[in-house]
Amino acid sequence: MKYSYYPGCTLHASTKEYDMSTRAVCEKLGIELVELEDWNCCGALGAFSYNYFLSVALPARNLALAERKNLKLAAPCNACFHNLAKANKLIKDSEDLKKRVNDVMDIPYNGTAEVRHLLDIIVNEVGLETVAKSITRPLKGLRVVPYYGCLIVRPTEIARFDDQENPQSLDNLLKTLGAEVLPFPMKVKCCGASLVVNDEELAFQLTKRILETAKDVGANCVAVTCPLCHTNLDAYQSKIESKYNVTLGLPVLYFTQIMGLAMGIEPKKLGLEKNMVPTDKIVESVTGVKKVPQLVKMKAGGK
Amino acid sequence: MIKAKNLDPNFKYQLSRELGGENLEYCFNCTGCACGCPVAEVDPDFNPRKIIRMGILGMTKELIESESFWKCVSCYTCFARCPQDVRITEVLYALKNMAVREALKGNIEIETTKPIFDKMFIDSIKDNGRVAEAMVFAKYKLKTEGIKGLMEQFSMGLEMFKKGKIPILPEKIKGKKQVKRIFEKAGIK
Repeated sequence: MKYSYYPGCTLHASTKEYDMSTRAVCEKLGIELVELEDWNCCGALGAFSYNYFLSVALPARNLALAERKNLKLAAPCNACFHNLAKANKLIKDSEDLKKRVNDVMDIPYNGTAEVRHLLDIIVNEVGLETVAKSITRPLKGLRVVPYYGCLIVRPTEIARFDDQENPQSLDNLLKTLGAEVLPFPMKVKCCGASLVVNDEELAFQLTKRILETAKDVGANCVAVTCPLCHTNLDAYQSKIESKYNVTLGLPVLYFTQIMGLAMGIEPKKLGLEKNMVPTDKIVESVTGVKKVPQLVKMKAGGK
Repeated sequence: MIKAKNLDPNFKYQLSRELGGENLEYCFNCTGCACGCPVAEVDPDFNPRKIIRMGILGMTKELIESESFWKCVSCYTCFARCPQDVRITEVLYALKNMAVREALKGNIEIETTKPIFDKMFIDSIKDNGRVAEAMVFAKYKLKTEGIKGLMEQFSMGLEMFKKGKIPILPEKIKGKKQVKRIFEKAGIK
């Protein structure tokens, strides 16, 4: 299996662990990912607010590049997936828009590219049976809530592979890995997305209730499919804790990191030390190897 | 009280002509969009139904000045639940686009700082082909909240830097001129 790979800007920077774990897991599953050469930013959510047409034209350049390679385009980020697939649909549906987009681009786009979310590829193209065969360390003791976010399931004219109110693909994948998957009423409730940039107060209320519900149902970690969700739930978690005087301490892992653990991939290769909320306890419970605290290591290695 | 003489009957047509605004007039005011809207659940001032209604009635000034549509997180829950396919999330994009254009012409002033961030974000794409997220974020915080606002992000930023999550230099693509031309040809300033 071979795909063009569109990591998107954050996977090259603040969410490297998603890129690392994606590559490691795909290699194990026999999925060849060829990074789309010279891809550009899809415009994220900001471009749509600023100029709608730009938000179609920016992904279109990537679609044109993917079309030349004649491979399906795999996107692990919910927002990148949404933007690429949406631009693709709009261009395919409207000859007028297709012409307008081609008028501003140096590379022509004929409308034949296909965009898939990484989760969709793993669950529906690779299949859970193949995933099951790759497991060497079933995730006993992992009580996980599947958090899908928004753009991976909505709108259904773009995200077409799962139910938009109560999706199951991530649930089933995590169950296949041997984890205990808890019912999670917040699985498709928005984390606040980029609102955190200009209105932390409002965004934190949205993020906080997702994390609190996860704790309430008894989870010891959250599985996510999107770098923006991850940033809100993971990177901002300590700020939420101090602002509202609550204790959360809930590790937030990419579904690929969780898959990697079950497949016996070394935690370092999955970037598990890059998550902002420490993942040590999760890694320990799965691998049985206790992490030596930094301080002790320094003392032992010193002198 | 809403007075008919203060309404702008043409506004709904203007909005419908924007990309994303096409289905505005299908709305029959059922409130399905407001039920389940995550922002409305935590902020009673935000109501997507009201925004659509104001658009259809032509309460242009009140709507644009309220700036409430900038709070939309683009989660598409309203879009999913609308029985009339109004495509509310998209209509809100159309409204934001209109507001930005009016602000660029100097006709209105936008108090919400989100468009400032959006502009810095797309400028980064225009220059490099990709977005240098940390740099854009820091620049935005400094501009809108000053040194104090920037410093509030410092500890998180430092932690991320230590974990190798913030590159020192922005990534640039070979085809950055192609990307710049997209902006130029589309007339986006």
